[in-house]
Amino acid sequence: MAQLHLTDEVLMAFADGELDDPVAATVEQAMADNPAIARRVTEFLRSRRLVRSAFPEEMGADVPPELLAGVQARIASLEQPMRAEAGPEVRAGFRLPVVRTRTFGMALAAGIACLLIGAAGYFVGRQIPSSAQLAGPIAQLSDPRIGRILSESRSGQEQDLPYGRIRVVSTFRLADRTLCREFRLQTASGGSNAVACRNGGWRITFAMEEATGAYVPSGGDDLMESYLQNAGAGQPLLDAAEIEALRDVEHHP
Amino acid sequence: MPTAIGQELVALLPRLRRFALVLCRSPSLADDLVQGACERALANAGSFTPGTRFDAWAFRILRNHWIDHLRRTRTEGMTEDVTVQTHLVGDAGEGPILNRLLLAEVQQIIDAMPPEQREVLLLVCVENLAYREAAEVLGVPIGTVMSRLARARKRLIELTAAA
Repeated sequence: MAQLHLTDEVLMAFADGELDDPVAATVEQAMADNPAIARRVTEFLRSRRLVRSAFPEEMGADVPPELLAGVQARIASLEQPMRAEAGPEVRAGFRLPVVRTRTFGMALAAGIACLLIGAAGYFVGRQIPSSAQLAGPIAQLSDPRIGRILSESRSGQEQDLPYGRIRVVSTFRLADRTLCREFRLQTASGGSNAVACRNGGWRITFAMEEATGAYVPSGGDDLMESYLQNAGAGQPLLDAAEIEALRDVEHHP
Repeated sequence: MPTAIGQELVALLPRLRRFALVLCRSPSLADDLVQGACERALANAGSFTPGTRFDAWAFRILRNHWIDHLRRTRTEGMTEDVTVQTHLVGDAGEGPILNRLLLAEVQQIIDAMPPEQREVLLLVCVENLAYREAAEVLGVPIGTVMSRLARARKRLIELTAAA
């Protein structure tokens, strides 16, 4: 019989029923020969029970109605277009925001407005409404002061504006090395999360507006996330990498 | 096809929430995570292999969603949610194995463990995932699962033995 080193891992695996028969038989023999080993196995069994008791089922059982409704609405929304179209599969991706607008009609009514702005400045086939036509924080995004802040502020910094506050969230590059910044603008009428990329000056490529106070079932983060994923956003540039990227902006205004 | 998993996902919500709570320790953030993960799961229903464990597949999506969230908030600093850490008061639930005092102690010990030990404890000891399945959820080798799990349980054994 090959020598088996009875490490904690091996004894734990035995207690968890994870060992193959021949090895398990060896451990059983060792337990019979040596009470100390039997005890160690018993303790691993006991630890499993302790952990189970510490995470009772009730811990997650209190599913909030909003969460349940949100997930069910999503399921329902996937069922409908599938029946109607029977064609293209619904994929996570750029289609997601569009699907969501339909799905989360309630959330929209509760106060999310979402603009998905293509490189050429089009939004789902329509021209972006001019600033004058838009109320709320998205209207402010074309303010040149924001451009300056995006060129100069490190991530995490907040700055005051006459109509609110801006916080730069992160800095990253797209696959083609275009420099982009995610930021959040908070005004009296609400907040908006946006991404601006360098193309000559700063161009807003994505913006999402939410009213304050309304319960928004997670949506915002996901939209931004799926946008970033699909835009091919790289890892956030941190510390020296971010400083260097911003220095480039300064030199090529 | 995506909706074929819909009802399974709804049934799994309580366990997804529990896992999310273990990961982020903030009830409101946990709900957001679960919702986001459900949407990802539905959008990627095709990536589920029938015949494999559905819960493990969903746990993996939830955890990846959490990792992405961390990646995005790293430069932004902590969100308000995370600072509102609610201590979870559990219940013995599974019968009279533990008295309340010991239970509270166990919870405290687990609470103080690093996140990578807490998550593996939940997946293996509570969700009954095999080591291999837990390794897939966590995206680490099976040996890593075993060493983290053994370390966490040894610690629990040592700290509760004196009681």
